[in-house]
Amino acid sequence: MNKIVKLAVVLGVISAIAGGILAGVYQFTAPVIEARNQAALKAGLLEVFPGNYKFSELKIKLKSPDPAVTFGKIYKVEDSSGNLVGMILDVTTPGDQAPIEMLVGVNRNGTINGVKILKSLETPGLGANASNPHYYVDKKKKITFLGQFKGKKVTDPFIPKKDVIAITGATITSAAVSRGVKAAGIAAYEYMQKAGGS
Amino acid sequence: MKDKLKIIWNGIVPSNPVLILAIGLCSVVAVTNFVKNALLMSFAFSFVLILSEVIVSSIRKWIPDEIRVPIFVVVIATFTTIAALLSHAYFPSVYDAIKLYILLVVVNCIIIGRAEAFAYKNGVFDSLLDGIGMSLGYSWVIITIAIIRELFGNGTIANIRVMPHIYQPALIMVLPPAGFLVLGVLVGWLEWSLKRKKEAKK
Repeated sequence: MNKIVKLAVVLGVISAIAGGILAGVYQFTAPVIEARNQAALKAGLLEVFPGNYKFSELKIKLKSPDPAVTFGKIYKVEDSSGNLVGMILDVTTPGDQAPIEMLVGVNRNGTINGVKILKSLETPGLGANASNPHYYVDKKKKITFLGQFKGKKVTDPFIPKKDVIAITGATITSAAVSRGVKAAGIAAYEYMQKAGGS
Repeated sequence: MKDKLKIIWNGIVPSNPVLILAIGLCSVVAVTNFVKNALLMSFAFSFVLILSEVIVSSIRKWIPDEIRVPIFVVVIATFTTIAALLSHAYFPSVYDAIKLYILLVVVNCIIIGRAEAFAYKNGVFDSLLDGIGMSLGYSWVIITIAIIRELFGNGTIANIRVMPHIYQPALIMVLPPAGFLVLGVLVGWLEWSLKRKKEAKK
């Protein structure tokens, strides 16, 4: 009995010290991590909507027209005088190996403004080229895979090898990204049309 | 002095954790596709191993034999979590790529093995040296593998383009199978050169 108590006390004391140290390190790093996340988010939003815009989170839920695609946070984009310019959706679409998370910026007039991939686990050298800024699907015009969505109407079919140029050897990734962008585009466009004058 | 140096050298070649002891190989294969991943993993691994060995050896007289393994795990888990928090705060993009493997340092058999086999039986200073030696041994191997894999698989070393643009990267080199291939070749090469040295002495 005595022995068990002793063992428990020793393990308890060591665990308590370890817990205390961890709490200290967490206190110290948590604000840095939070600041990094905020900065990364701001940079991401600016990438899909470059310019002098104001971003604010919209507390609404949009229904995705594509059952495989889900939406996370939704942001509205306003110009300096407060007019609604467009929306940005955090979109998750099923990738080749794991879900792809991306930001999709939609203009008020129903065109895509920009797409940025936040998280993906696609095959290096193939599907991962989706987010490679030096991989051009159109080498002459220097258009990247994501770049080709800029200005595209949300009512377009978004089918790789038809109106979307696919990444060589990565048809699944190309299709996954395309359907995610299309779903986000349609949902955001419908919402903005309903919201009307605001 | 000489036997102290020998403790360090022991981890670098004669008991190299990866090439000779061949333990903890899963993370070796996983993180060596790009040099920057291997570098961050080396730092995290060294941090956890050296500090865990020092702490374990300094409290070894108070550790009851029956619960030594849980205590090793608590110590190692503490340092692993600290390493993960620091990497998340200061190297966010690399951390995102390999965070699973940094967290898995907790159950890396090299670390718990050295805590049990060395730090639990030796003094603080010797354990520090053993930690340094083992870390160097682990780091040089995974960084070498990463350089080979990134060079042939992506045409770059640490994201700096080395191969001419005309070089068509061999994708398999950055995919997991090549981890085994390069590791196997290195193990063979080291065994071969050690054997040759032994024979030359005769």
